[in-house]
Amino acid sequence: MSEEKKKTAREIIEGYDGPPVRIMEVCGTHTHEIFRLGIRKLLPKQVELISGPGCPVCVTQVGFIDEAVYLALECGVTICTFGDLVRVPGTEMSLAGAREKGAKVRIVYSPVDAEQYAKDHPEEQVVFLAVGFETTTPASCLAVRKASEDGLTNFALLVANKTMPGAYAALKGSADVFLYPGHVNAITGTELCESLVDEGVSGVVAGFTAKELLTALAVALVKFQEGKPFFVNAYPRVVTREGSREAQKLVADMMENCDTEWRGLGIIPNSGLCLKKEWEAYDARKKFHVPEMKGRSNPACRCGDVLQGKCKPSDCKVFGKGCTPQHPIGACMVSNEGACSAYYQYS
Amino acid sequence: MCVGLSAKVVKINDGVAIIDAGGAKREISSQLIEDLEPGDYVMVHAGVAIAKITDEDDSETDQVLEDLF
Amino acid sequence: MNNKTVTMAHGAGGKQTSELIDEVFKAHFSNPDLTADDAAVLPAPKGKIAMSTDGFIVSPAFFPGGNIGKLSICGTVNDLACMGAKPLYLSCAFVIEEGFPMEKLEEIAGAMEKTAKEAGVRIVSGDTKVAGKGQVDGVFITTTGVGEILDGVSTSGDYAKPGDAIIVTGDIGRHGCTILLAREDFGIDADVTSDCAPLWPTVESVLNATKDVHVIRDATRGGVGTVLYEIAGQSKVGIRLNAADVPVAPEVKGVCGMLGLEPLYLACEGRLVIMAPKSEAEKIVEVLRQCPYSKDAAIIGEVTEEQPGHVVMTTEIGTQALLPQPGGELLPRIC
Repeated sequence: MSEEKKKTAREIIEGYDGPPVRIMEVCGTHTHEIFRLGIRKLLPKQVELISGPGCPVCVTQVGFIDEAVYLALECGVTICTFGDLVRVPGTEMSLAGAREKGAKVRIVYSPVDAEQYAKDHPEEQVVFLAVGFETTTPASCLAVRKASEDGLTNFALLVANKTMPGAYAALKGSADVFLYPGHVNAITGTELCESLVDEGVSGVVAGFTAKELLTALAVALVKFQEGKPFFVNAYPRVVTREGSREAQKLVADMMENCDTEWRGLGIIPNSGLCLKKEWEAYDARKKFHVPEMKGRSNPACRCGDVLQGKCKPSDCKVFGKGCTPQHPIGACMVSNEGACSAYYQYS
Repeated sequence: MCVGLSAKVVKINDGVAIIDAGGAKREISSQLIEDLEPGDYVMVHAGVAIAKITDEDDSETDQVLEDLF
Repeated sequence: MNNKTVTMAHGAGGKQTSELIDEVFKAHFSNPDLTADDAAVLPAPKGKIAMSTDGFIVSPAFFPGGNIGKLSICGTVNDLACMGAKPLYLSCAFVIEEGFPMEKLEEIAGAMEKTAKEAGVRIVSGDTKVAGKGQVDGVFITTTGVGEILDGVSTSGDYAKPGDAIIVTGDIGRHGCTILLAREDFGIDADVTSDCAPLWPTVESVLNATKDVHVIRDATRGGVGTVLYEIAGQSKVGIRLNAADVPVAPEVKGVCGMLGLEPLYLACEGRLVIMAPKSEAEKIVEVLRQCPYSKDAAIIGEVTEEQPGHVVMTTEIGTQALLPQPGGELLPRIC
C-alpha cells in the first residue's frame, strides 16, 4: 500500500505537463537530500528547482567568522561550534585556519554540550557560536538558561541566529512555490505561511525523507496547476499549526529581534536575534568587547546571487575552478547543504 | 538546514531524555515538550527534542496526497 | 621491570633500553628470525615479493575491538594481502611518549603478538625511540611488511573492468564510528566495536577458490567511498553502487544520522573491496561468508563503462545520483 502511494507522488511529478514552475527549496537540508536522492532527475523540463537561503552557514556573514577568530586568537577563548562552520572562510582565515595557529576549536553536537564543557572546564572561557534558524535557536537558549542555573561565568554565546519571515519577504517573487523548511515550521507552526497566501505567496511544508519530499513536490505541482495561491502542510508527522509553544516562549523570553546581515541578501530589518538585556552577561560581544568587524568576502564569489536564486552555481566564474569543496571561496561551497557544494558534488 | 533525526525515547527524567536511534543512544533535552514518556518518538535537532511524532510510520504522508484529490 | 612508565632513559640506548626491549618486545615477539643484530637476515622467497609500510597514530590508542598494536599489524598485513601476498616478515618502529604507562605498552605488544600469530607473520626487526612529553600522543607505531605473492595472482587498483562485480566483505564504517565514539566528543553511546582484523587468511581462502580476481583493496582511512573513487580513477571506469545493498550496522546508521555523516566515508580496518568478473562473484561471496571476518559479505554494485572516474549510487527510489567525492576532514553537520 505504502509503496503504491510513493509511486503515485512520483507519477504526478514525472507526468507533470502544466506551465513552467520555479520551486525554491528554502532549506539547505532539502537541497542536500534532493540531490542525494536524485530527485532532480525525475523532474520534467518545465519544473525548475532553485536552492534558497536556508543554510545557516551559507547566510552567515563573513564578519561573524572574523569575530569568532578574534575571540579564539586574541581573547584565548575556547570556541565550541557545530562542525558546519569550521571551514567557512573569514576575511583572513577560517576557524580551521585559527586552529592551525593554536586556537582551541571544539566541535559539538549541541549547544547544551558546550555549556557542559564550560562547566567541566572552569579554567577556560567558552563561547558557543550560535547560528541557525528557529529550529536551532531554542537549543542555544536552553544552554544559556542552564549556564545561569549552574552559576557559570565562563560561558557565552556569539549570536548570529536568524528568523525566516524577513527572508520570505525578501525572497517574494523569486519563485512560484516555496518548499518551506519543515523543522523550522515544527517550532514556529504554520500560521505565518498560511497568511502569506493572502499576499500571493504559495508554499508547501516539506519533510526530509524520500517519500516526504516527493509528496511535497507532487502537492506543489498539483496545487500550482489550479492557478490560485495556496498553502499545504505536507509534513503533518512533525509539523502542527501552532508549532512548539514551549520553544516559542523560551526564545521570546530570552531574545529579541534585531537587524542582521545575511550574506547575499544584505541587512534584513528585524530578521536577527540577540540576547535580551537581562541575559547580556552571556553575550560574547559584550563580555569580550569584540570590536565591530566588517568582513570582506571574495568579490568574485556570487554566493549572494545563488542564495536568491538569481543565478545557478555554475554561472559563477570561480565555481569549480578557484572554488571547490576542498578550497572553498564562498560559504555556499563549504556547507554540505550549500547550493554550490551540492551542485559541485552531485553533478 | 536543521538536520533532524527521529528517535525513540527510552528514558526520561527531569527534562533530560535518553533517545535511541538504531541502537545509538544519547542524552537530549526534552524541556520543550510536555508529557513525554518512554516509548514516544521525537524529532531531535542539535540535542533537543523539537517535536513529538506519532511513530516511524509514514501513513500521515500518504494521507496528504489522498486529501489532495 | 621496576619502572611503571617509559622514561627518556629507555630511549637512550643503554641498559634501560635493553631492558625495555628484552622484557616487553622480545618477550612478545620472540621467534627464530627476530634479530639482535643491525638487520634481520632472511631467506629470499621463490616468487615476487610485495612490500608495504604504514604509520599508526590512532587516538585513543585503546578502543572497543582493539588497540594501536593490533591495528599496526592488521594495517600492514592487510595491505600485503590486497596484493595477493602471504605476509612473511614485519618490522616495527615505536615512538613512545615519555611517561607512557609500561602496562599499556605491554598490552599493545601482547596484541601485536597475538595478531601477528593469527596472520602468520613474523616480527623480525624493531626500533624504539622515546620522545619528550607532549612531542607525541602516547605511542606511534610504524610497521613495514614483506610478503610473497601467490603464484598466478595479479591484483591492482588499475585492473577493474566493466562488468566486474563489486564485493564488500562486511558492514562498513565500524572502525571510524568506534573511534568517533571512543573520543567521547559527542556524548553518543552505541554498542559498536572496531572491525579491525588481519585478513590474510580471508584473502587466501578467496584466492584458493579462484585466481580470477582483479582488485582487492582494504578500505581504511576514508572508508569504502574513498577506495571506490580511487579505483574508478586508477582503472578509468565508472562504478555503480546499489545503496540498499551496502551493509551498515543499525548503530552505525544511527550515529551517522545524528551527526549528518555518510557511512561510506567512515574508516574501516577489516574490510576489503573486491572486484572480480561477475561469473566469479557468487563463489567469492560464498567463500567469504565461511570466513570469520566476512560473514556479512555482499555484492554492492558493478563496474561500468559510463562516467569513468565517478561513483554513481542507485538510490532508494531507484534514481541515479553521484556519490559526493571524498572531502577533507569529516565534520559533523548539524545546523
